[in-house]
Amino acid sequence: MKTAAFVGMGLALLGVAGCANTERSRNLNDPNVPAKVMAQQVCSNCHGIDGNSTSPNFPKLAGQQEAYFIAQLKGFRSHGRYDPEGFEYMWGISRSLTDEQIKGLAAYFAQQTPAPNPPVHTERISAGKEIFEKGVPSQNVPACAVCHGAQGQGNATFPRIADQHADYIIKQLQVFQRTEERPEGAVMKQITHSLTDENMQAVAAYLNSMPVPAK
Amino acid sequence: MHTSNIKFRGGLNKAIVMCSSIVVGIVGLLPSSAQALPAFARQTGQNCVACHAGGQFPELTPYGRMFKLTGYTIGERTVPLSVMGVVSYAKVANTSKSDNPPADFQKNGAPLFATGSVFIAGKVTDNIGVFSQTTYDNYASQSGNGVFHGHMQADNMDFRYADRLINEKRDVIFGFSLNNNPSITDPWNSAAAWMQYVPVPSPTSHQFIDGTAPYPGFGSGGNLAGVSAYMFWNKLVYAEFGTYRTANQGFSFMSAGINDASTTKLQGANNPYWRLALSHEWGPHNLMVGTSGMIAHVYDVGTDISDPNNLGRFKNAGIDAQYQYLLDPHTVTAQLAYMRQKQDHSANALAAGSPYFLADGITPVTPVNASDTSNILRAKLSYIYQAKYGGSLSFFNSTGTTNTLNQSSGYDSNGQITSLDPLGTGISSTRVTGNLSGNPATRGLTYEAFWMPVQYARVGVQYTAYSKFNGASNNYDGLGRNARDNNTLFLYVWGAY
Ligand code: HEC
Ligand code: HEC
Repeated sequence: MKTAAFVGMGLALLGVAGCANTERSRNLNDPNVPAKVMAQQVCSNCHGIDGNSTSPNFPKLAGQQEAYFIAQLKGFRSHGRYDPEGFEYMWGISRSLTDEQIKGLAAYFAQQTPAPNPPVHTERISAGKEIFEKGVPSQNVPACAVCHGAQGQGNATFPRIADQHADYIIKQLQVFQRTEERPEGAVMKQITHSLTDENMQAVAAYLNSMPVPAK
Repeated sequence: MHTSNIKFRGGLNKAIVMCSSIVVGIVGLLPSSAQALPAFARQTGQNCVACHAGGQFPELTPYGRMFKLTGYTIGERTVPLSVMGVVSYAKVANTSKSDNPPADFQKNGAPLFATGSVFIAGKVTDNIGVFSQTTYDNYASQSGNGVFHGHMQADNMDFRYADRLINEKRDVIFGFSLNNNPSITDPWNSAAAWMQYVPVPSPTSHQFIDGTAPYPGFGSGGNLAGVSAYMFWNKLVYAEFGTYRTANQGFSFMSAGINDASTTKLQGANNPYWRLALSHEWGPHNLMVGTSGMIAHVYDVGTDISDPNNLGRFKNAGIDAQYQYLLDPHTVTAQLAYMRQKQDHSANALAAGSPYFLADGITPVTPVNASDTSNILRAKLSYIYQAKYGGSLSFFNSTGTTNTLNQSSGYDSNGQITSLDPLGTGISSTRVTGNLSGNPATRGLTYEAFWMPVQYARVGVQYTAYSKFNGASNNYDGLGRNARDNNTLFLYVWGAY
């Protein structure tokens, strides 16, 4: 009796839902899985359900510009963007996504509202604001706001950088400055050319703590 | 001891040469593209570090935990096969205080291919996934002429069904598991089935390495058959409840390779396991505090299960906690686990009593306790840089009630300390494993340093130092062996594909 019940439970366990379940699927190679499902079932594990990731290991995606977002996912998919965290985490995630799904994902995250971050290195914020708004003329660094927008909100292929995790900003500035791992960021290579580590930390501290602009 | 010193160095050098050539071999053989990873990494296309903290197997990152709890279903279906192998070397500090060193310290100071595993692991459907390990032990048994024989047997198995209801307001993951080892389902690595992570090779030279030193665990052991249901609510509360039975009949594949006499036999299917944990993530930090327990009705190994007098019982209750700091290039993990166990001995084991006498050689040792309590504590701190270079420090302390039933050395009827087996209980009772006091107290520290030249290979060196063993610091066997004589140097090379 007991044995039968036990075996029955085991079989039931394995027998349930043999088929695809696109409403709650985590399959990264199924063009029928809607972007929202994928964002919630998979991307949320690292980037947060509303694109406000908890860990600075993962960039925030909330309110990110759609055109930029699409270009990055396609860059991961084609292996064009190959900085270490990019290939370690994002190549696999993106490898079988369809263009349609990528568009949907971009739209999903663009609609999310960025949340404020816990402050880091508050003493550097004012120096960072200076760089963001005016650049560092003595080092030929232009103001970031010129391209990334007065509130860091970005525009099309210029990414939103406001409220991004400081750790991620610094990492990317170093990638642009020291490597060829983000070939589409050639512009940023020039801009970061003479940025010092101190400049990077200051501007990252400022971006990390930028007030969230009203929508 | 001049000669043994030279031998020690010679053996060590040989081991190092062998280890390094194996690493070079592994590095050379494996393609270096990110696709060339063990089964789960191929399924998600991600690197091992996405799921394993600092690339430190098997410890999971928050994402690795979600991957597991959602039933190994993230990604795309691929060939669900992986293999793993371990080459090891162990050297015990003192091999002279032994009646039979070749038997007590088999392969001491000799590099050996210890074990290998085959995994069937991966996504089956959108809701079903498998993690199933079968392990080959190259030194499973030894025949009279000293030749070792290999053996293959069922290792950890976890078949899951999982679903996730998630939206902006709530996140509930729930699922069921059919598995063969209590807590194998757990996503945190301070859980009993996961804290110990380097396989323990069989030759007796490896009997004191860290993996055999006290770790919190369940009295029932593994290779059982169980079902459990679990839930993870808003990444905050994890709860699991299951029950186990003997892995025979329809479930014999979960104890495959173990003969009937040695298979753990449970009474019925009412051997509950439970787990409750609270977890929180903030910035690069995450913390879990939890508790777990089990009640298992277990027959003495190899006895007649139709006789209720062979039935004993284990009651386990423990608490554990794990903290991780994960921010590239740093990984810090702290783990703490404490397990209390009450063992009610079977009537037959109690009736058999102790084979030993008091020092006069006339008075049999006093009646044993009907039950024993033991407490095991483990604390471990590790740091890894760039998912490549790491080190850890681990403290273990096992204490418990003294019971003559647990003695494995004592006075015989001539008033001589014997390390033999006067009643033919079959329990090996040499000077090396002897326990004169009947108390389990064992305490020590393990230091480890490791290096991961590529993400699927690890070279590690561990040193385990004992300040107490089998109830005493000195002369624990009554024949002059001290706890520190068991200090062991252990080297391993682990690789997976
Ligand atoms: C296992 C964790 C993980 C998962 C799951 C994950 N990502 Fe990422 N993602 C990362 C990391 C880490 C980076 C940073 C990569 C880098 O530094 O190059 C990243 C970067 C990105 C970027 C570039 C952001 C920027 O500002 O340039 C986008 C876009 C992105 N992810 C989208 C997604 C989408 C869409 C999904 C789900 C289909 C997803 N990610 C799932 C870890 C993850
Ligand atoms: C001339 C225009 C321009 C200026 C000025 C500029 N940027 Fe950029 N920035 C870009 C573009 C375009 C990209 C996207 C690069 C790509 O597609 O890979 C980018 C990307 C970035 C990124 C990566 C964002 C992400 O999510 O991965 C960071 C960080 C960044 N910029 C910071 C700065 C800072 C700080 C400054 C000021 C010191 C600055 N930028 C000035 C054009 C500009």
